Amino acid sequence: MTGSSNNFVSKFTSQDNNSSIRNAGFEALEYLPVPTRKSERWKYSPITKLLSHTLSTKESDNTVWPQEISPNPVPHLNAYLIVFRNGVFISSLSDLPVAEGVVCSPMSSAGDQVFANTYHKTEWVGAINAAYHQDGLYLRVEKNVVLDRPIIIHHLTDGADVACFPRHLISIAEGAEVEVVVWSSATSESTGMYNGVLEAHVASNAHLKIDKVCNEDGEVFHFSHEQIIQESTSKYSMNTFTIKGYWVRNELNILSNGAGTDSVFNGTFMPTGSEHVDNHTTMDHAHPDGTSSELYRGIMYDKSTGIFNGKIFVRKDAQRTNAFQQNTNIVADKGASINAKPELEIYADDVKCSHGCTVGQFDNEALFYLMSRGIDLKSAKSLLVRAFVGDVLNSVKSEDLRNKIMNLYSEKHNW
Amino acid sequence: MLKIKNLHAQVGEHQILKGLDLEVMPGEVHAIMGPNGSGKSTLASVLSGRDLYEVTEGSVEFEGKDLLDLDASDRAREGLFLAFQYPVEIPGVSNINFMRAALNGKRAHKGLDPIKGKDFLAKVKECGELVELDGRLRDRSVNEGFSGGEKKRNEIFQMAMLEPKLAILDETDSGLDIDALRVVSKGVNAMRTPDRSFIVITHYQRLLDHIVPDYVHVLSGGKIVKTGGPELAMELEEKGYDWI
Repeated sequence: MTGSSNNFVSKFTSQDNNSSIRNAGFEALEYLPVPTRKSERWKYSPITKLLSHTLSTKESDNTVWPQEISPNPVPHLNAYLIVFRNGVFISSLSDLPVAEGVVCSPMSSAGDQVFANTYHKTEWVGAINAAYHQDGLYLRVEKNVVLDRPIIIHHLTDGADVACFPRHLISIAEGAEVEVVVWSSATSESTGMYNGVLEAHVASNAHLKIDKVCNEDGEVFHFSHEQIIQESTSKYSMNTFTIKGYWVRNELNILSNGAGTDSVFNGTFMPTGSEHVDNHTTMDHAHPDGTSSELYRGIMYDKSTGIFNGKIFVRKDAQRTNAFQQNTNIVADKGASINAKPELEIYADDVKCSHGCTVGQFDNEALFYLMSRGIDLKSAKSLLVRAFVGDVLNSVKSEDLRNKIMNLYSEKHNW
Repeated sequence: MLKIKNLHAQVGEHQILKGLDLEVMPGEVHAIMGPNGSGKSTLASVLSGRDLYEVTEGSVEFEGKDLLDLDASDRAREGLFLAFQYPVEIPGVSNINFMRAALNGKRAHKGLDPIKGKDFLAKVKECGELVELDGRLRDRSVNEGFSGGEKKRNEIFQMAMLEPKLAILDETDSGLDIDALRVVSKGVNAMRTPDRSFIVITHYQRLLDHIVPDYVHVLSGGKIVKTGGPELAMELEEKGYDWI
């Protein structure tokens, strides 16, 4: 199977930093198969179409920033900004925090860093990222430091058959607090692949919050993989919003690596046309007294396809774990579909785990009730949709960010 | 105001209304009584535009317009209101936003600008007081976690907000205790005007002690089989439907 990927990667250039992770990536590419429908993890997200392209990675980019996309995706938000275009760090558009106890730079100037995740050893997509990754954010925050503003990481994919392969590393020490927004855009003529890996270490009592937004035009295959490692009594909160995207796969892996961790992760997706959105999440409770709460809501329109796969492991030692997972989906149109699969594996005997997964239609009784008061069908539907995703949107702390996301959804859906 | 002629309606293959005639003039209150399964709620649903029901024959004219030609929201905008037998819970949509959207939808239909915030809130306060609706319930999600009585009061609150020309109350008394029945009836009576009409669907004469109708109709087998004054309700209460 590896043979078929040779054309695909032929034009990739590998940079000379982080040689250990790159070598590991190349090694893995020797034996890892390209994902096909035969593998359970990729059954509903085939990438055959992507493999017919020959992509190339860029090392630098001096062309003018495209008009159609603002370098700062949330200008109203008082935030730091790090901008990457086709994986290349754009210093002139970035505004990085400079503060005591904070080390923040592009990966390219952070020296060799050690990553804990083994994504490159198990997945071909991960190995591609490891071998050919470009730049990324390197962030280290010292003990008890609370970063005063969120950091927006903005990725722009722009061009034909572009490879955009970022790799980020975030490490926040005991009691520190950081908010990050990971935003990806693509221009309307773009094709290619976004393949991003983000690894974050959250130490005891620290709190990391990530809001991830995919708002890509064009026809980009978007893969993003987050590996979060939480130490005892740390907190991780994440929201994943897929607004626009031709083909999107979000993979979130959280490891509870100490007692009493708290993980809250939510997501919404409302694909239209023939968009494809895949959310794979894994919550691994390896230590006692952890809590996790997961809420994903999707509405599938037109001929779109969706996937939700939520794994929860409760290991033998993870007694008194309290894990909650809910995935609610509406299939709004005849041609749309979703494959939803909760997977719970529980090896401890004193735990509280609940999960619910539904696929349904718009509530006709509720629609009729709203209409019987003089609200037209379209407005009634949008009231119900906003209420449906409201639970997830309301967990975005910043009002500016929340409004921006809501506006983009409403623009797309013509509310 | 409302002219129903020879109305036939069915759900799937099941014929429920079988030639119903009814005429309601402005300002009149018509009570419709009848045994279970006689078609009372079907009539309410057909009039308000629930698309589960198929009208196979007959006509309904509302203020000179063909009512059956309009969808549920346009019927409401023309001045029809249905107080639901089972009000629907809508998590995530606040009662207040719901009413604002409804009121402004109706105003847009008449070519009016959206209501001013201050006027809207004053109206909410006034109508809320009419049915003694707890202020907190106005801000909560529509009917979510409301008691049976609160849901019914919320229906009358909405009716007061929307000021319909014709209101259909579908078993509004079911599930109400004596105090709630009094409050709901008071709200309805306060809204009686020479122009506004009501169709009150009920099983029990009890409600008609509070909301005194001009006419009482008995619906049975999908047709109106008897019409009389308020005294007909008393007689039914005493003798049951078998008597008809």
